[in-house]
Amino acid sequence: MKRSIAAVWVVLRKELSDALRDRRTLATVLVSSVLMGPLVLLAISGLVASLESRAEQREVYVSGLANAPTLRNFFERQTYVVKEAPPDFEARLRRSTFSDPVVVVPADFEAALVRGEGPVVEIVSDSANQRSEASTARIERVLGGFGRERAVLSLALRGVSVQLLEPMQIEDRDLASTQTRATRITGMLPYFVMMAVLYGALTAALDTTAGERERGSLEPLLMNPTERWALVAGKWGAVACVSVLIAVLSCFSFLPGQWVLRSDTLAAMFQYGPREAGLFILILLPLAAALAAVLMAVAIRSRSFKEAQASSTIVVLAVSLLPLVNVFDLGGEAPWHLWAPALAQNTLMTRVLKGEALGVDQVLIPLVVCVTLTSVGVWYVARELHRAAVK
Amino acid sequence: MIEVRGLAKSFAVPTPRRRGGWRWATSLRAPAAGAAPVSPASTRVHAVRDVSFDAPNGRITGLLGPNGAGKTTTLRMLAALITPEAGTMRVDGIDVVARPREVLARMGVLSDSRGLYPRLTARENIVYYGALHGMEREAADARAQDLARMFDMTALLDRRAAGFSQGERMKTALVRALVHDPANIVLDEPTNGLDVLATRALRDSLRWLRSPEGGAKCIVFSTHIMQEVERLCDCVVVVAHGRTVATGTVPELLAEADERDFEEAFVKLAFVPERASGGAGP
Repeated sequence: MKRSIAAVWVVLRKELSDALRDRRTLATVLVSSVLMGPLVLLAISGLVASLESRAEQREVYVSGLANAPTLRNFFERQTYVVKEAPPDFEARLRRSTFSDPVVVVPADFEAALVRGEGPVVEIVSDSANQRSEASTARIERVLGGFGRERAVLSLALRGVSVQLLEPMQIEDRDLASTQTRATRITGMLPYFVMMAVLYGALTAALDTTAGERERGSLEPLLMNPTERWALVAGKWGAVACVSVLIAVLSCFSFLPGQWVLRSDTLAAMFQYGPREAGLFILILLPLAAALAAVLMAVAIRSRSFKEAQASSTIVVLAVSLLPLVNVFDLGGEAPWHLWAPALAQNTLMTRVLKGEALGVDQVLIPLVVCVTLTSVGVWYVARELHRAAVK
Repeated sequence: MIEVRGLAKSFAVPTPRRRGGWRWATSLRAPAAGAAPVSPASTRVHAVRDVSFDAPNGRITGLLGPNGAGKTTTLRMLAALITPEAGTMRVDGIDVVARPREVLARMGVLSDSRGLYPRLTARENIVYYGALHGMEREAADARAQDLARMFDMTALLDRRAAGFSQGERMKTALVRALVHDPANIVLDEPTNGLDVLATRALRDSLRWLRSPEGGAKCIVFSTHIMQEVERLCDCVVVVAHGRTVATGTVPELLAEADERDFEEAFVKLAFVPERASGGAGP
């Protein structure tokens, strides 16, 4: 027994150094899984920041400004800077080189307004040009305010109460806390971390099983006086270690990522510190172990690395798609979510981001599922090892 | 010391389904008159039917046979990779099936597949196997150094195996199999893919390992090349169609076949009994 445990350590060390020398694969995994998350976070923050700055700018572009001194006066009283729109604004909006909606005022605007004919004012934007779309609602609100002011003045002149225009009042009350609101944006973060775990385990798991078969090194390996379970345990340990390593890098990569967040609002909402990163890693440890075992079990049946890649697609798909149940919020949180690997971890990590406490059963159920998957996977690989070597 | 008695092993080989014909459909079809009964989903191929030999210490025993004679299957059974259906195998008196790990600890096997880990250096490949045999890293490393000197591959030791030539890979695999200084050495077609010089170097090394200074090892060596056997083996076991058909030294086999040329003698010994029994050939 003592010798077998020593053998597990020998195999683990060898497999680990072998996997860490595969620099090209590691670099690909690091770029795709570890860097991608923070980069997407940065991109989102950039977008939010640009929307925020536009909202703060309080600028409005009007075509035919000279036709509407009343409207200009209203805009200026709302502390807006009114600018004449460029003559080719339609073409520029289509090309997305102009990012503000344009208010088009007809030539007889003032006269029609006085006569009460209801002149038509256009807000021109391009729905394919997202930045111009974002400001449209704001301009619409201001123009609505102008309309209301005109109506109130007319009614007041005729001695009618303004209250008639607003028979009821509408107020918004949002129950979400700052953190919960933030998960609408940061909800994809657990997904990126999970992909890091998956892709970290994938190559190592395939290389240590199907790769070993393809190289013809499995048969000589089994001619050593080492117990099969010790060989498999060492291999599994190494794959799980690589996966956890990538997961740790991925979890911590979001820490510097948030320091460079360009949006102050997002930075204030995004509650992700070393504590959250640590909890993420604890949640992901069992998943990394289970994925390593399951991927190895799938790959041991394949004769070549390529064949193993094809058969592991189903595992990759399952792990990629299950968390989407959460991301798209299909039917809210259900009890079965905790029994589905990947989805359970995603649920738990989302709870951590929301700042909610984790219950004992919420931690235990996914842990039991992962331990079972790991045991079945390792047992299956140990059983198939001899058959795989001679086929 | 290796003793093998009455070894047998068969494998199920799946037969391909006929196009558009599911198994139940073919079984419903009435067999044509005189045709063989409907074939099952798999047929059994008898890779080894009855192989027996003794390989004493301090001798090189050659397992000579044509392709598909059952040499590799026999050696895989000896290395406890496959369980035989019948027969016994003992290495230094220890039963292979009952106590495989003890046997493997006393045996160095260069198998048909001799893959190395391309990202590890030759030294790391060798020391890894030493460690799996329970050796201390320093001891395994010293042994790798000694063997590398013997096989003239010291310059290779600290290079990664990724760019090795066929001969360099073979040498590394051989040293890897010998790292724990086994008393019994089993080599499956070790000269495959080697050039003349490498083959000669290998022959010299094996002769040395057989000598009392080299440890008087028991060496079993499978091949289908006549020259190898003539030049190297103290005893030849001719295997054909899964059976041991003749055993003896090269002069003994020449006398038995009443031939002067060893190739002629081999063809006579390996194929004539099958012809007589109507097994293969016209």
